[in-house]
Amino acid sequence: MIAQALLSVLLGGVLVYAWAEYRRSPLVGALSIVAGLAGLYFVWMPSHSTLVAEFVGIGRGVDLILYLWVCISLTVMLNLHLKLRAQQETITKLARSIATANLAAAQEAPAVTAEEAPKPAPPAADAHTSRQMRGQSA
Amino acid sequence: MQRNRSKSVYVICPAFNEARTIAGVLAGLAGQGYEIVVVDDGSSDGTRRVAETMATTVISHPVNLGQGAALKTGIDYALSRGAEFIVTFDTDGQHRPSDIPRLLDALVRERADFALGSRFLGGAQRTPVLRRLLLRAATLFTAVTTGLRLTDTHNGLRAFTRRGAAALRLRQDRMAHASEILAEIARSRLRYVEVPVTIDYTEYSLAKGQRAGDFVMILLDLFAHKLRR
Repeated sequence: MIAQALLSVLLGGVLVYAWAEYRRSPLVGALSIVAGLAGLYFVWMPSHSTLVAEFVGIGRGVDLILYLWVCISLTVMLNLHLKLRAQQETITKLARSIATANLAAAQEAPAVTAEEAPKPAPPAADAHTSRQMRGQSA
Repeated sequence: MQRNRSKSVYVICPAFNEARTIAGVLAGLAGQGYEIVVVDDGSSDGTRRVAETMATTVISHPVNLGQGAALKTGIDYALSRGAEFIVTFDTDGQHRPSDIPRLLDALVRERADFALGSRFLGGAQRTPVLRRLLLRAATLFTAVTTGLRLTDTHNGLRAFTRRGAAALRLRQDRMAHASEILAEIARSRLRYVEVPVTIDYTEYSLAKGQRAGDFVMILLDLFAHKLRR
């Protein structure tokens, strides 16, 4: 009974997590809800797990539970992967903003005169591009 | 006509550690009247230094984000500068600058918003057998998932009108961006056309290009993208 209560609390936590995730990722949320509900059902009706296990050809109920737990773990891993992707998108936006801000700052910087330039003036074609790098024309 | 049109043509060159080839690529693009925008994607080999001496504009990502992110950075910049036409051009030396006018002419002539380069309509030097098979598989995948009838789905040489580029909602940072662009073209329902272009395969470009395992990652990226809102 104690084990059942503890497992119920844990699986209840999984359901709360799944409900919260459902808004962000419906598929992951739905999979987690199904896995959590199945876990709760088998915790309180352990004999049914053996029946279901035999029906699907697994053999023992405990193996079925183990497989379900693996499914839950994989679902959580998938969700973590999706969250990492979402974070990467945020980093991309930040990096892009920094890159364009740096470019704007460089273009607004005062032009370097020929006398101040550390290197000799480039050939005609390059002179055009170098000048634009300093923002004197677009 | 050519001169006036070139004024608003922005060529976006994403580059990551291309110091070995970028000077030659930019030299080939110079003198055509294009606005050359190099997006240095966090290179550590001096790519930026070389590009700054030759390109109109160099935008530098502070960290490596991926070619898809670099393209979007360049496209956003070009749109903000009033570009009428935007060309994407790889910096590993596999594209020919002489193909760009053909893409632009196709946009105008066909009244299309997207002109996509195709190596299978044009010429490709020494296309490896495995790469050819993978590209064919990608073509089939694109036909099934987007409905676009194309002969080459992973060609980095493309041209967009301003309207076409603005219609693209790009979120794939890395290799899946090519598939995402096609999906966005299909979603936009704007007109597209394929144009024969030549790909010059070199040992360098093949080494930097996609491998068989990358296609698995592309599928995973596309799948993950669908799962999250």
